[in-house]
Amino acid sequence: MTTHASPPTGQAAVAAVDLVKVYGSGDTAVRALDGVSVGFGRAGFTAIMGSSGSGKSTLMHCLAGLDTATSGRVLLGGTELTGQSDRTLTRARRDRIGFVFQSFNLLPQLTAAQNITLPLDLAGREPDRELFAHLVDVLGLGQRLGHRPSELSGGQQQRVALARALVSRPEVVFADEPTGNLDSRSGAEVLGILRDSVRDLGQTVVMVTHDPVAAAYADRVVLLADGRIAGDIAAPDQGAITEALRSLAVAA
Amino acid sequence: MRATVLRTQVSAAARRPGRLILTGLAILVASFVVFGTVLAQDITERTARDNLSGTPAGTDLVIGDPEQPPLALTELRDVRAVPGVAEAVGRVAIGVSVAGGYVNLEADPGVGPLATVRLVQGRYPERPGEIAVSPRTVERLGLTVGTVTTGTGGDLSTGAPLTVTGVVDTPVDGGTNAYAPDDAVIAWGHLSGVERIDLRAAPGAVQAVRQRVSAAVPADQPVRSGAEVRDAEADAAAEQVGKLFALVGMFVAIAVAAAALVVTSTFRIVFAQRMQHLALLRAVGAGRSTLVGALTAEGALTGLVAGVVGVAAALAVGQALPPILRAFGAVVSSPGLPLGAAVAVVLGAVVLTVVAVLAPAFSAARVSPLEALRAASVTAGRRGIGASRLVSGALLIIGALLAGVAAVRRMPTPGQESYDPTTGLLLLVASGALAFLALVALGPLLVRPVLAVAGWPLRQLGALGRLAVGGIGGTPRRASAVSVVVALGVTLISGVVIGGASMRVVADRDMALSAPADYEVAGEAGTTLPVAVLARARAESGALTRVVPYRMVNDVALLRGGERLGGAEAGYSTTDLDLSALPTLADLAVAQGSLADRGPGRVVLGDWVARTAGLRAGDTVTLGHDRSTVDVRVAAILPDRGPLYAGILADRADLDRIGGPTAYTGLLADAARAGEDGRAAGVRALRQAVGTTAGLHISVLADERDRNDAVLNALVWITAGLVSLTVLIAVVGVGSTTALSVVERVRESGLLRAVGLSRTGLRAMLTVESGLYGVIGATFGLLLGVPYAWLAVRALGLNAPLSLPVLPLVGLFAALVGLTALAGVLPARRASRVSPVTALGVEG
Repeated sequence: MTTHASPPTGQAAVAAVDLVKVYGSGDTAVRALDGVSVGFGRAGFTAIMGSSGSGKSTLMHCLAGLDTATSGRVLLGGTELTGQSDRTLTRARRDRIGFVFQSFNLLPQLTAAQNITLPLDLAGREPDRELFAHLVDVLGLGQRLGHRPSELSGGQQQRVALARALVSRPEVVFADEPTGNLDSRSGAEVLGILRDSVRDLGQTVVMVTHDPVAAAYADRVVLLADGRIAGDIAAPDQGAITEALRSLAVAA
Repeated sequence: MRATVLRTQVSAAARRPGRLILTGLAILVASFVVFGTVLAQDITERTARDNLSGTPAGTDLVIGDPEQPPLALTELRDVRAVPGVAEAVGRVAIGVSVAGGYVNLEADPGVGPLATVRLVQGRYPERPGEIAVSPRTVERLGLTVGTVTTGTGGDLSTGAPLTVTGVVDTPVDGGTNAYAPDDAVIAWGHLSGVERIDLRAAPGAVQAVRQRVSAAVPADQPVRSGAEVRDAEADAAAEQVGKLFALVGMFVAIAVAAAALVVTSTFRIVFAQRMQHLALLRAVGAGRSTLVGALTAEGALTGLVAGVVGVAAALAVGQALPPILRAFGAVVSSPGLPLGAAVAVVLGAVVLTVVAVLAPAFSAARVSPLEALRAASVTAGRRGIGASRLVSGALLIIGALLAGVAAVRRMPTPGQESYDPTTGLLLLVASGALAFLALVALGPLLVRPVLAVAGWPLRQLGALGRLAVGGIGGTPRRASAVSVVVALGVTLISGVVIGGASMRVVADRDMALSAPADYEVAGEAGTTLPVAVLARARAESGALTRVVPYRMVNDVALLRGGERLGGAEAGYSTTDLDLSALPTLADLAVAQGSLADRGPGRVVLGDWVARTAGLRAGDTVTLGHDRSTVDVRVAAILPDRGPLYAGILADRADLDRIGGPTAYTGLLADAARAGEDGRAAGVRALRQAVGTTAGLHISVLADERDRNDAVLNALVWITAGLVSLTVLIAVVGVGSTTALSVVERVRESGLLRAVGLSRTGLRAMLTVESGLYGVIGATFGLLLGVPYAWLAVRALGLNAPLSLPVLPLVGLFAALVGLTALAGVLPARRASRVSPVTALGVEG
């Protein structure tokens, strides 16, 4: 197990500095994030792991501009997201961030193709035809573009969601338990695609998961416990991850 | 189990009272409208009773009755002599011709508790030949205080002088009102009796006086107490109100039916959102009937709450409004507290809601227990419709077509006599109702085609528009359920608009013929108009314009080969009125031929004349009068009669040739200025022009035209107002549907926000979706409303043109879309405030 320092926040695709998030107030206040500082380098595939309530999803939401932190800073490619207006955050999500969710979250009334280009449509931008064709080809969606989500399998829906996240060439793709609702084969496909996007397209990917198998696809694992960074593993394998999680559980 | 299920359902509903109200909002509004109508009827009835202008409140006894022969003057004298009678006034009215017009001279004491008028200027008449007039009569007839004129009326055979001594305020000022005490009226008019006697008794003597008076008058003259007569008058007024409100009730019933449709739809949405919960209950062992029972109980609770709130709100408004209106000077009585009606409305709300909830409850209870295990939180709604719905829709269309064809077959042919429109109209109403039900059944299939066309411009606007159109198109059953209610409102309003426009054309055409100008000056048959009168009228250019003289001959025969044509023994009235001189006659409708064709040697016939004489445009015929004849050709036939009720319009030269009078018989004129002042000035000018010429009357035709206009306008507006109740329910339905859909689609909103839709964008999208319900509904409504309105106009047999008032209909469409969009604003605001994290429902 190798622990190494986070890359300097200035060079990171996205970074948190001393991030604190408190839910509720007074006696019932919960510190979901308790001073987290972490950076995610460009063209890296990082998995954030931790048990339920460790703050991993909250960290992702804050990094992605979906939620605002109580204190601390979030830097997206060097620009400050903290304290920005809803309009700025919305634009950042639209133009610079991609999302993949556990429950796919495709719009039922749009076809697969329309779902893929949705963020670009909202921005009024033309999709990059070449990239679109490449993604459709890599994701094996060629025959499915005219279908609606209800006519697709879970794996296919998640691949559409992946294409949606990747087609706008975002600075960071955030994936929240992307394999949680998939069988192991579809899950492996999705994770393979995420890894390939990092390798082939230079995409930055941050993935929240509790599954060591999924995390093993990443080239770095950040461990969270009780709202703090509890470990940072480079080039992990499944055994190392399981070991780290076990030692965390023992420590708790 | 049953009780547990019931408890979970009802407590879930009670925990979220907002949702409960939202589901039952349409019922709430319907209860408000129904109970509001009950109160409005109460208010109107009480106002009518409290403000009767007939018998004064001070009247103790009323002797005689308009149904009975008049009371002789001796009887009036005898009644006055009865001990204990404080005052007895005879009521009688006579028509009096005065220079340049006509007044209705009424007997009234002028002072005291039995007076119906109040002096405002001069003194009240005392002697025979003295009169007081109303303010409008002063304006119209120039009868200022001090004026002396000559009048003929009552049993007078020659004119007698009349002096105006005062001006009085009267409850209803028709511009022809004159008053004098009974003795003065009787003496001036040489009358032999009065219609009835109003009597005031000395304090405490009413019963004794009643007995003595009964003995003093003939047995066939009824003696009633003043209260009785006032009650009878009040009942008559109330009966009028009741008839009016029976009609109102019909429109309210349509609105209530619309509310039931809306509530059925909102319950479907609410139950769909709870599908997983219901499936769970089924999975752990709840029976179908248990679920139906629980859901129905929830419906009953909703109906109860909505009914109580609606009735309470109506009650509050009903009690608060009259005092506010009174503060602004309006005469309005406060309503009572009709508790029975209130309970009935609440019960009705419960029953209606239970009926409305049954279908959604049964289909929700059919949920498979397996649904509980599915991942998706909301079961996708079915897009198509079942076979049974398809078949019943088809059957309804066939029924609508059959009834429609039957109605068309009964439609009148041009010139058909004795046409009764009742059956045809009833068939059309039946056909329309069936067509609407077919729309309810088949609506989901029609939503997408309509969206494909109506949504096209929106889709061009970018992702937002596409999302909105897709959002509506994705749930066609829901879209159809709420749109058909909008459609019902639009159908009714477009029918009123089109019907009103057609009626206006008919009324204008009618008015152009009976009142082609503002004024007419004419006398009895045989009277001629002195040239000086015409010259003086033409000289009054400040007050009068378009002074057009004409000749009218009442007995012109139509002859062919010496045979009289047609059935009119006395011949047809014929005029040489110049059609081009008056703007109202410029666009007379023509049934055959062309008006441009008229001229010397040619005539224009009214439809009735042409039919009885068997003539068509282009035929030749001989005009005969006093043994002179002239051959003419029929240039055109009018669809009805001619202006001034003339049957034949002839050229001046032809009228000369058959020996028409050399002098004019009358003239038409318009007021030079608009408004009541201009009109009064015109009357004064004509009176100046007529001067002392005997036998000439001035008629203000414009008054009749204004009255008809006012009646028609009021009719259209009142009907539109009543129909708007249905529109109100429809808009409420759109609002609650959008609000409930937003709750259900909170995840979708969250996703859109996450991938970069701004708050404003989300709000705009949901508002547009809400407006799209209006677009679909208004499209359905116009597609149904316009053809049926046209058919109804045809079926009425009024010979009205089929008009398409484009501007009002476009306005209606825009207003409906705007209103439905507005209904979505609040839910859209709420949805856009939810943070994307909460909306996505992911735990931290």
